Amino acid sequence: MNCQEFEGHLHPYVDGELGVDAAFAAHVHTVDCPGCRSLAERERRFRQLLRRQPRESAPPEFRARILALCRREGRRSLIRPWLAAPALAVAAALVVALALPGLLRTEPLVTDLVDKHITFSQIEGPAEFLSADREDVKQWFLRRAGLRVTVPDYSRNGIRLVGARLAEAGERRAAYVLYEKGHVLMSVFMVSGSGRGAGLPGKPTSYRGSEYLLQERKGYRTVSWAEGQAVFSLVSMLDYEELLECADKLRAERASQIKL
Amino acid sequence: MFGWRNERDRNREFEEVALVHLDALYRSALRLTHNRAEAEDVVQETCLRAFRNFHRFNPGTNCRAWLFTIMRNAFLNRIRHSGREVALEDDGALRAALPESLAESTLARENPEEQFFQTVLHGDVDRALKSLPLVFKEAVILADLEGLTYKEMGEVLGCPIGTVMSRLSRGRELLRRVLSRFAREHGYIKDSQ
Repeated sequence: MNCQEFEGHLHPYVDGELGVDAAFAAHVHTVDCPGCRSLAERERRFRQLLRRQPRESAPPEFRARILALCRREGRRSLIRPWLAAPALAVAAALVVALALPGLLRTEPLVTDLVDKHITFSQIEGPAEFLSADREDVKQWFLRRAGLRVTVPDYSRNGIRLVGARLAEAGERRAAYVLYEKGHVLMSVFMVSGSGRGAGLPGKPTSYRGSEYLLQERKGYRTVSWAEGQAVFSLVSMLDYEELLECADKLRAERASQIKL
Repeated sequence: MFGWRNERDRNREFEEVALVHLDALYRSALRLTHNRAEAEDVVQETCLRAFRNFHRFNPGTNCRAWLFTIMRNAFLNRIRHSGREVALEDDGALRAALPESLAESTLARENPEEQFFQTVLHGDVDRALKSLPLVFKEAVILADLEGLTYKEMGEVLGCPIGTVMSRLSRGRELLRRVLSRFAREHGYIKDSQ
C-alpha cells in the first residue's frame, strides 16, 4: 500500500471497517511511513474528542410521557392475530388493486382495501407473482386476467417493485402490484368502472394541479382520486407528500399511455 | 418472530428492544433540530411510529438502525412540511459549505499537531455541528457521536457504503475546520498556525 492508497483507506482504517487484509496492509504502511502514521493518529484523536462529548439522556418526564403514550397506543390498537404474524422480509409494499365493475359503495371499499393491504403485508408471500420488471408484471396481469394495469416506476423515490397479485376486494376481483421501500408500507388501489368518484371520503387537497382526497384510517394514510370511471386509492404509513408524489406519477404515466 | 400473547407482552418487548435507544434518539434529535421542543416532537413521533410498526420489525435485526431510519424520515418530513429547504445531495451541500472549492480533503496533512484538540470548549462541538449541511452533520452524528457502523449508516441514510464513507470523511473535515476556527476565535491558536 502506498501513501495515496492509504489516504483512500484512512477513514475505514481508523473506524475499524476495513477487511483483515486491507487493515493489515494499512497497518504495515503506517509502520514504514511517519506521515501516514501521524494522519491516522490525528484521525484517532479527533474521534476520541467527539466520543468525549457529553452524552445527554432523555429527561425522566419525557421518558415517562413516551412510555405512557406507547402503552395507551397498545391498548387502542387491540392486537389482531395478524399483528403477531412473522415480520415481513418485504418491508414496504405498494399495492395496486383493480376491481372489476360492479356494485360499489366507495367508503367501505377504501376500508376494505386498507384491510386487504394490511393483511397481505403480513403474510409470508404478499406477491403471487414475483418480479422487479415492470413489463413482466404488466404482461402477467394481461395473461392472467386480461387486465391492462399501469405499473409506475418509483425507483427514483427509492421504492422497488416486488411483484403482483390478483385478489378479492369486497366482492370484486382486485389486482395488486407490490413495491417495497425501507420499513414503510405503501399501497395504491385502483377501482375501474365505479362512476362513484364523487362519493369518495376524505379531505380535498390539490397537488401539482390535480385534486386528491386525504384520509387516515387505522393509522394508515389514504390518498384517493377519481379519474373518469376509475377510482384510485393509495394507502400507507408514509407521509402524504410521498404518497401524493407517487399518485402524481401514476396519473402522469396513465395520461401518457392514453395519448399513445 | 414475536409471539406476543397479550398487550402487556408487546409493550414489554417494545420497551426492552426499542426504548433502550431512547437516549440515543433524544440526543441525536437535539443535534439535528437544535431545539428541545422540536427534538421531543420528533422523538415522540418516532416512538409512536415504531410502536405501531413493531410487529414488522424483524427480531434479531438491528433495532437501533431501524429506529434511526424512522427518526430521520420523521425529521425530514417535518422540515419539508415547514417549508424549510434542505440540501440532501452531497455536492450541493458541500458547495454551500465550502465556497472556496476545498472539496477534497486536501488539508488532511495540514496542521498535524491539531493544537485546537486541547482547546475545544464545552458546547463547541455542538455549535460546530450546527453549521454543517445536514448530509454531513447526520453522518458525523451517527458515526462519531452514536457509534453506528457503516452498514447501519447505509441503512439509515438509504445510501451505499461508498457514499457513507465519502460523507463521513467530508463531514469530519468540515467539522475539524469549524472547530479550528473556533479555537482561533477563542485565541488559543494564531492565524499563522
